[in-house]
Amino acid sequence: MQNTGLSVKIEQDHPMRLSGEFTCEAGQLVALVGPSGAGKTSMLRVLAGLLPAAKAHVQVGGEVWCDTQADVIVPTQQRHVGMVFQNYALMPHLNAIDNVALALAEYPKKLRREMAQSCLQKVGLQPEQQLRKPAQLSGGQQQRVALARALVRKPKVLLLDEPFSAVDQLTRQGLYALLAQLRQELHIPIVLVTHDLSEARQLADKLVVIDAGTVLQQGTPDAIHLSPRNARVAELVGIANHFQGLWLGTSETAGKARMQWVIFGHNPENCPVFEVKDKGKLPIGQNLTWVIPSDGLTLATQPDNRPNWFAVSVKYARYLGDISLVTLACTTLNGLEVKLLLSGPSRRLLESGLQLYIHFNPDFVHVMPVRGMISTN
Amino acid sequence: MDWQALTLSLKLAAITLLVLLPIGLWLGRWLAYQQFKGKALVEALVVLPLVLPPTVLGYYLLVSLGGASPLGRWTSDVLGVQLTFNFLGLVLASVVFNIPFMVQPIQRAFEAIPTNLSEAAAVSGLNAWQTFVRVELPLAWPGILSAAVLTFVHTLGEFGVVLMMGGSIPGETKTIAIAIYDRVQAFDFRGADQMAMLLLVFSLSAVAASYFATARLVNRR
Repeated sequence: MQNTGLSVKIEQDHPMRLSGEFTCEAGQLVALVGPSGAGKTSMLRVLAGLLPAAKAHVQVGGEVWCDTQADVIVPTQQRHVGMVFQNYALMPHLNAIDNVALALAEYPKKLRREMAQSCLQKVGLQPEQQLRKPAQLSGGQQQRVALARALVRKPKVLLLDEPFSAVDQLTRQGLYALLAQLRQELHIPIVLVTHDLSEARQLADKLVVIDAGTVLQQGTPDAIHLSPRNARVAELVGIANHFQGLWLGTSETAGKARMQWVIFGHNPENCPVFEVKDKGKLPIGQNLTWVIPSDGLTLATQPDNRPNWFAVSVKYARYLGDISLVTLACTTLNGLEVKLLLSGPSRRLLESGLQLYIHFNPDFVHVMPVRGMISTN
Repeated sequence: MDWQALTLSLKLAAITLLVLLPIGLWLGRWLAYQQFKGKALVEALVVLPLVLPPTVLGYYLLVSLGGASPLGRWTSDVLGVQLTFNFLGLVLASVVFNIPFMVQPIQRAFEAIPTNLSEAAAVSGLNAWQTFVRVELPLAWPGILSAAVLTFVHTLGEFGVVLMMGGSIPGETKTIAIAIYDRVQAFDFRGADQMAMLLLVFSLSAVAASYFATARLVNRR
């Protein structure tokens, strides 16, 4: 079978820094995530040929779209990309059908209308809505028109630039379902740019974390969540509990090492030491950032006989619908804050000031070396 | 009523419009989309005919295109064409004088088109010409229409530049505005009144109609 995947490699400093590479197989959905201004949209624009890159290699299947070293730059028009723009970029003077038909210039006139209508039907736009101009359509309906326009040309790659940011939560869920359904039929690489992490996790097979124009890490959503490459990635993918640590070296237990929790303003002798997984890569005395996901934390009214229990008091509990975000202060660890997402009926009993115990399961601790001094904020 | 002068003015306005429209479309679009060093200077040059006294503009045109100038000598020696004191000179002067009226509304109209629409057109496979015809022109149309009407009406009412470049040769360079002036000089206020009223009513109707049409075009979106 022919490889129809997308591979991208960009390396440039001017006019803006863009650096990194990623791949996206046919049928796969890759989400580029990162803060605003990180360069996600610029990467997408390089893929579409809308932004010239100083040094880049973009390939889809056997077709090279851009190879700056070989001086190959295929113009946007010939790349056959489907792209949904952030604000849809629908033509305000054309109705939905004509907007979609616009992408069919290479087909005979008679066919265009028919193809546009059937494509709009597929994305769920009712026939009476198909005759309306964008201004007379809701955000969600405009979104569907934009998607139809992107798909009608049978693109080799589908690019989605923050497509869901301008629609309400309810509409968004409907569009997620539509995208999931289309993915099954299309079997082309899909690249989604989003700053919404939960959206990225819900839709993507793979995340590409971008910050300041640089690809920091890529992998499945849970791989990145469980083992972020560095503190910045942990922060960007929204891991609430990241702390400082010091590597103490191999312990008596096979495959384990000891790590001291470094707590600012707290006597080092009283800082807890965890026995964590040892990959044999870190030197003794290495400064660390470490993270622990909610799965590794247990809250209880009384500690059991395992080690690593700490007394905490509830600072506040925020009710977020099906889950609650609880902020706890470790009373014996200089008031250090731990955040926890809880579900189930018992979370309703949490109120500020409540004294509890929290257990840290060292098996869930993920350590990341930091260069130089540990920052104390 | 000097029908000859009126016909000449209408002919001059129509030819000016035909010559200037493609230039205005190209220049207006270019200024709207391109960023370059010295753009402010080019834009200032475009506006210059609007702020200069018509006599100043007419004077420089006369000096640079007249028989004594190198350009004027060349056209008369090589092409056998004189550029001043005839209808051709009037057209040239009129084109230069109307540049701001044509270019500015067109430039604004193209500037108002969101850039991502052209990008969406490119992604949809449209080449530059198809994008121009199917996306840019329909969206810039109200601006182009008002530019055309302004240019036409403004040419009808031209006086200073025309007088400097063309004199007042009946049937050749004597436009309606000059005819009105001549009538007043001759104390024929009735003759002047008729023509002035005609120009007033025509100009007002044309501009009002273009505003009306523009508003409808914009509302239709």
